[in-house]
Amino acid sequence: MTERPGVANETLACSAQHLSVAYREDAVLVNVDLDVPQGIVMGIVGPNGAGKSTLIKAMLGIEKPLTGSTRFFGRPLRQAKGRVGYMPQSTSVDWDFPTTVFDVVLMGTYGDLGWIRRPGRTERARAQQALEETGIAHLSRRQIGELSGGQRQRVFLARTLAQRPDLYFMDEPFQGVDAKSQQAIVAVLHGLRASGKTVVMVHHDLATVRDYCDQVTLLNRRVVASGPVDEVFTRHNVRIAYEAEGAGDPFLAFDAGVGAP
Amino acid sequence: MNPVDFFADHTYRMVFFGTSVIGLVAGALGVFAYLRKQSLISDVISHSALPGTLLAFLIAVVVLGVDGRNMLGLIIGAVVVGTVAALGANAIARSTKLRIDTAMAVMLSVCFGLGMLLMRVIANGVFPGKGGIQDYLFGNASVITIVDFVTSLAVGGAAIVVMIVCWKEFALRVFDPQHAIALGFSARLIDALMFSMIVVATVIGLKAVGLVLMVAFVVTPPAAARQWARTLPGMVVLSAVFGAIGSGAGAYLSVSLGSVPTGPLIVLTLFAIFLVSLLFSPRRSLITRSIGRIRARQRLRAQLLAASGGWA
Repeated sequence: MTERPGVANETLACSAQHLSVAYREDAVLVNVDLDVPQGIVMGIVGPNGAGKSTLIKAMLGIEKPLTGSTRFFGRPLRQAKGRVGYMPQSTSVDWDFPTTVFDVVLMGTYGDLGWIRRPGRTERARAQQALEETGIAHLSRRQIGELSGGQRQRVFLARTLAQRPDLYFMDEPFQGVDAKSQQAIVAVLHGLRASGKTVVMVHHDLATVRDYCDQVTLLNRRVVASGPVDEVFTRHNVRIAYEAEGAGDPFLAFDAGVGAP
Repeated sequence: MNPVDFFADHTYRMVFFGTSVIGLVAGALGVFAYLRKQSLISDVISHSALPGTLLAFLIAVVVLGVDGRNMLGLIIGAVVVGTVAALGANAIARSTKLRIDTAMAVMLSVCFGLGMLLMRVIANGVFPGKGGIQDYLFGNASVITIVDFVTSLAVGGAAIVVMIVCWKEFALRVFDPQHAIALGFSARLIDALMFSMIVVATVIGLKAVGLVLMVAFVVTPPAAARQWARTLPGMVVLSAVFGAIGSGAGAYLSVSLGSVPTGPLIVLTLFAIFLVSLLFSPRRSLITRSIGRIRARQRLRAQLLAASGGWA
């Protein structure tokens, strides 16, 4: 297998090469090539079952890929672990867990600590700062079971911020979020981009892709198109990704955010 | 029987402190089984500990030619087979379409079958020191020797120390298994450590409590503690305290009441703690919750009636 040019390029935040994933015999992702430059927000968009979450998990080694590999800042994951953060879907955990908001956010710092070492004053300060950046400092002592959907998302976002990575993977950060939390998360996204961080985000709301993302990858088991929003997020590409047929399709009536043609 | 007479008696003392230690260690580590939603894993472990113990006995007697009743040897045998069974059940659930409850049931029954087979082999053969081996089924707290007590104290203490040292890793893995991997921790290593500590907590009670009832020591205290605790450290400490107090109180009662077996009475004491926790814990009480729900519904009904002009 030949490497594409630029795969080991350090100016790319991450680069997936021929990535495929299969659950048992069924291919969920087929030969995905993906380059994410540094300092941008990349949206991963596609229909249900397109493999969006799987793509993120496979890149991060949580799901074992059948073929292919991913590099982060030109290196294998093992050498870049501290620089890569992951915010899973908040529905992936049981929120009836005996712990407080602060303790969950503090877990973001555990990666840097490694085995055995315990969080100290520095780690607590990092967690506190992450709580303030996401606007949930007042919930610090709250039981996590008492939070709303939007607050849960912000707790997970704060946990990822506490890790202080350079590259953020977020799986549907706006899922089940109220307007206030949405604003808070958007503010964090913009802040991250302003400070030169990179965000790769699974996103399901086509209407807001243009507002939140600099680049977009349209995914449906394989990459339909990937690149700057203006070039790639076209009616034509979205239609292919969502397998929408015919011009009169009701689905296509909803495409206010999609560029023509 | 009054406490002075009770603690003056060596056997009673052994029963009391022996079962308290078992309850404390099982209560503390049972929390992690509870939070992994694998409370029944301790039942798999205790049933697979039977063939483990008997294999260790046979190896000691037949191969090594030493005393087969050595507590440490029996614990090692139980821990090895128990860990294999616990991780085996998880491996089946991970790599097949079977769910974890089915995988655990299959593992539990096959190990227990093997254990019964080995027990018959030992019963039919001529092995020095084979008396007392049937205690592993239903347990016998009155045969706890000072050596047994010290061994379970040392082994159980070691399990608690491992839990405290790896606290951060255990907490991370039970709360969000995938996040632990994303942060660069080896899921396999954390799981192996966590499950082998749960195994240790289960097997140290086998001789005194028996494999059938041991599951109650691992499951009941965490379930009761969850009703009260707000944090993970709080839940572990409370569960350990419940386990120790329930076991000590049950042991004391069993002696006081005369010829009542200790294990079953402890299980009943633990259940009493569980029941009180379900009914009276401040935030999760069944009683206050259902009263609150009824009141809220009545308020809502009154509002709706008022809004509809009293026609409903």
